[in-house]
Amino acid sequence: MKVLMANIEDVMREAAARWTLVAYFFLSTIFILIFASAINLDIVDGALAGAKLFGKQVEVSGSMSIEKLVMGFESGFSGILYVLCTFLAIFATAHLVPRMQEKGTIDLYLSRPVSRLKLILSRYLAGMILAGSNVLYLMLSIWLIVAWKTHVLHPRFLLGGVVILFLIASLLAFAFLIGVVTSSTAVSIMATVGIFLFGAMLAGHARIEAALSKEWEAAAIKGLYWIMPKTAEIGAAVVAYVGGPQMHNDFLKITPAPFVSTAISGFVCLALASWLFQRKEF
Amino acid sequence: MSQTVIEVSGLKKQYRSSVGRSRITALDGIDFSVREGELFGLLGPNGAGKTTAVKILLDLTRPTAGEARLNGLPAGHPESRRHVGYLPEGHKIPGYLTARQALGIFGKMSGMGDAAIKSRSLELLEKLRIAQWIDVRVKKYSKGMTQRLGIAIALLHSPHVLLLDEPTDGVDPVGRREIRDILRAEAAAHGTAILLNSHLLSEIELTCDHVAVLRSGKVAAAGSIEELTRRATQYKLVPAAPVDDALIGAFRESGAGVERVNGHMLLTVDDVSHLNALVDKLRASGGMLTELSPVRSTLEDVFVDLVRAVDPGGRSDGQASEGALL
Repeated sequence: MKVLMANIEDVMREAAARWTLVAYFFLSTIFILIFASAINLDIVDGALAGAKLFGKQVEVSGSMSIEKLVMGFESGFSGILYVLCTFLAIFATAHLVPRMQEKGTIDLYLSRPVSRLKLILSRYLAGMILAGSNVLYLMLSIWLIVAWKTHVLHPRFLLGGVVILFLIASLLAFAFLIGVVTSSTAVSIMATVGIFLFGAMLAGHARIEAALSKEWEAAAIKGLYWIMPKTAEIGAAVVAYVGGPQMHNDFLKITPAPFVSTAISGFVCLALASWLFQRKEF
Repeated sequence: MSQTVIEVSGLKKQYRSSVGRSRITALDGIDFSVREGELFGLLGPNGAGKTTAVKILLDLTRPTAGEARLNGLPAGHPESRRHVGYLPEGHKIPGYLTARQALGIFGKMSGMGDAAIKSRSLELLEKLRIAQWIDVRVKKYSKGMTQRLGIAIALLHSPHVLLLDEPTDGVDPVGRREIRDILRAEAAAHGTAILLNSHLLSEIELTCDHVAVLRSGKVAAAGSIEELTRRATQYKLVPAAPVDDALIGAFRESGAGVERVNGHMLLTVDDVSHLNALVDKLRASGGMLTELSPVRSTLEDVFVDLVRAVDPGGRSDGQASEGALL
């Protein structure tokens, strides 16, 4: 426990000192403020009489209830937050392993009576706490602003944050793996952003496979699809989950498969990163 | 009887070259041991394998063959490092931390409680004369101050074994003496064994009891400083009055080498009985002596001789024995 606490303290202090934490929350706050000032809803007797977005009138059908509007709005917004939170988390945590592995620093960590497995896992947890605190800040703030302006409390939006954190956990494991192998923050960021985009691209694997002339190429694309984190499917699942069955027919199509394969992908990356870190010579 | 806390036997380490499949031998079967309370110096030219040996002890790198043990446990077992303090050469204490924060984090990683960290931190920083900098970020420190903080981190959990790589690097002469005194006090008070890895031979000579000199991955010499620096057959003799030429002639006839230097003589003899025979001759001639002492080399002389003594194949030779120069 002391090792974990020491690592959390180290990660947080570094994030604060290097302005990562400030930039992380500053960007999030700007996003929240823009969001808060952009929306103006006119509610009369519990029904939506009119809505303005960035000062422009939004056409609202007479039959739309305020609850449905909030649900739809939060659902769409959760998709934006999914990308924003994930990218911010990658930029804020990709340095954790490369920085620790620097010559002269790693010696100080490894000379303590702590196993390497415990060291890397506690650092991973510290990174997740840093990313999680930002996801919580963004989601909770947006949720409170919407609740303040509409008086509608829609808890599904907050649970969407848990799904976002799930993807961040998988990508952070990948960033750790790249960090252990290359000791480079830049490569860690590039590779993790790359895997996010590549994973999204592979959502259309069926069409790519159909376009390929050779069978082995199609098999390779299919294999890659199952290995990679399902960034597009999980993003769609966040939107559908926050919207709920009333808003999205896609809600009914959410299957556990993308979650299971993304979890396996993250677990394998973390296990591989831990194994390589234990074997690595400094 | 003091316990052996560092044991190294038959330790070999080969690194794979990044180009091709050739291997570079960093350590070629070294043996040495350090007992509790002992101040042990590890010497050698660049690339002799000193840092590799320390890194193996701390599991930063793994041996190709042989065994290293710390506190009775195999190096690599996390518990073997429970009572070990380490100051690496060119260490990088994160610059964003203050001394208090750095000591807090590394203290916790050593299993210390907050109260113990607080009291020990203050004690050490005061001893090392950087207590007033406790809440200043490390990036503002001079090199010497960073080095002092590194020593404080190494000593924080009152380790039984201290592994120090160039501990006085960047420290001014007064600071060096203070660090030397602190290390000696730790060894005396807590029985801390100290393995000192340094290029500063005078530092080793002033601090350590025993040394091992590494050359091309092998122990070229090992023993106490006294044993290593004694020139076995040369003595300084200071007579009470000038010795006449006849007596010096008699000394030379016995096979002794005699050199007059500023009122005293340097005698090169076969052995101790030969020396005593010369002293008897001096006394028999009515002469008296005021001083008779073995001539010592400096550790630097010994080191340079050893490093230059490379066999024709370009490799160092032999295994070391206690107190022997090979």
